[in-house]
Amino acid sequence: MDQTKQEEEYGYDLFPDRKPGEHKKTSIAESLFTFNYKCRVMLQFAVETSPYAKLLLSAMKSSGCKVFKDRHFSCEDCDGTVSGGFDAASSQIVLCQNNIHQQHHMNRVVTHELIHAFDHCRAHVDWFNNFRHLACSEIRAANLSGDCSFTNEVARFNFGFKRHHQECVRGRALRSILAVRKISRAEAEKIVDEVFDSCFNDHAPFGRIPHSKGDADFAYRDYMNRDRYYANL
Amino acid sequence: MDRAVGEIAWRPPRACEDYWSEFRHCKSFKNWFHYYYTYGTVPSCQQWKEDYHNCRDWEKHRGTEAKEALRRSEKIRVAEQRNFIPVWQLRQEPPRDWHVPLNQEKPQDS
Repeated sequence: MDQTKQEEEYGYDLFPDRKPGEHKKTSIAESLFTFNYKCRVMLQFAVETSPYAKLLLSAMKSSGCKVFKDRHFSCEDCDGTVSGGFDAASSQIVLCQNNIHQQHHMNRVVTHELIHAFDHCRAHVDWFNNFRHLACSEIRAANLSGDCSFTNEVARFNFGFKRHHQECVRGRALRSILAVRKISRAEAEKIVDEVFDSCFNDHAPFGRIPHSKGDADFAYRDYMNRDRYYANL
Repeated sequence: MDRAVGEIAWRPPRACEDYWSEFRHCKSFKNWFHYYYTYGTVPSCQQWKEDYHNCRDWEKHRGTEAKEALRRSEKIRVAEQRNFIPVWQLRQEPPRDWHVPLNQEKPQDS
C-alpha cells in the first residue's frame, strides 16, 4: 500500500516501467524497429548536435555530474502524453519512447530534463517535499528549453505575442507540477507566483534565455570562453 | 611595467569579433521578435557596439580607459544575470549517488 501511495504522490504512476526500488534491465536482443531503438538513436543525435544539450552536458561535467548515456538516460513507455521526466531517486532522465517521435521534440525533451538534472547537480533541490523547489526547476525548464517558443505555442493553438513567453512558462510549470503532485490548482498557482521572479531570471548555465538555436550557439560559445571571461573581469 | 613577473597579461573578456557578432545578433529582426515576445519591450543593443569599439581601441592603443570601460560593462552584465534571490541552496559537492550504478542502489534479494 505504501509503495502505491508513493507512486501516486510523486508521479511515478506516469512511468509504469519505473517502480520505486526496481530497476528494469534493458533486454539485449532489441529489434531495430522498436520505439526503444528509435528513442536511443534520436537521443544520440540530440546529445551530439543540439547546442542546448551540449552546453548542459558540459556544465554538468564541470559540476562533477558527468552524464553517461547508458546510466543517466532511459527510454521507456509512459502513460498519457507525458514526454519525459527526471527521477532524482535514481539520477536518471526518462524519455517516453512511445510519445516522442520527432527529432526536434527529442531535442527539446532532452534539454528540459537536463535542466532538472543540472539543478539537481548544482543545488540542494528537495524534489519530493519542497514544492517551491519543484516549481522553480519547472519554471527554469519551461523558460530555457524552448518549450515556450513562439512556434511551439502556435502549434498548440496558443496565440499570444507581447510577453506571452512568460504566460506560457507559468502555465507549463503549473501543468508539470499538477501532473506529478497531488495539490490543488490554487495552491500550485500560489507557489508558482511566489518563486516566478527569482526562477525566471535564473538562466544558468546559459547566461541568457536561448530562444533559438542561434541563441543557444552563442550561449555555448560564451560557456566555452568562460575561463577567459572571468579571468579578465 | 607595474605587472608582477609571471602575471598573465589582461585581455578583453571576449574576442572583439564576439562583441560585433553579439551586436549584429541583438539588432536582428529575429532577436527583436523574441525579446518582445518575452519581455514586451524592445532590446537595447548600443552597449554591444560600444564594447566592440572599446575592444578594438584597446587592441590598438592598450589604453586604460578602454580597458576599464569594457570591464565595467561586463561587470554590469554579470550583475544583471545574478539579479535574483535563489530559491535553493547551492551545493559544495555533487550528489553522492550520481554515479552509483543502478543495481547497487538497493540491497540484493538473493
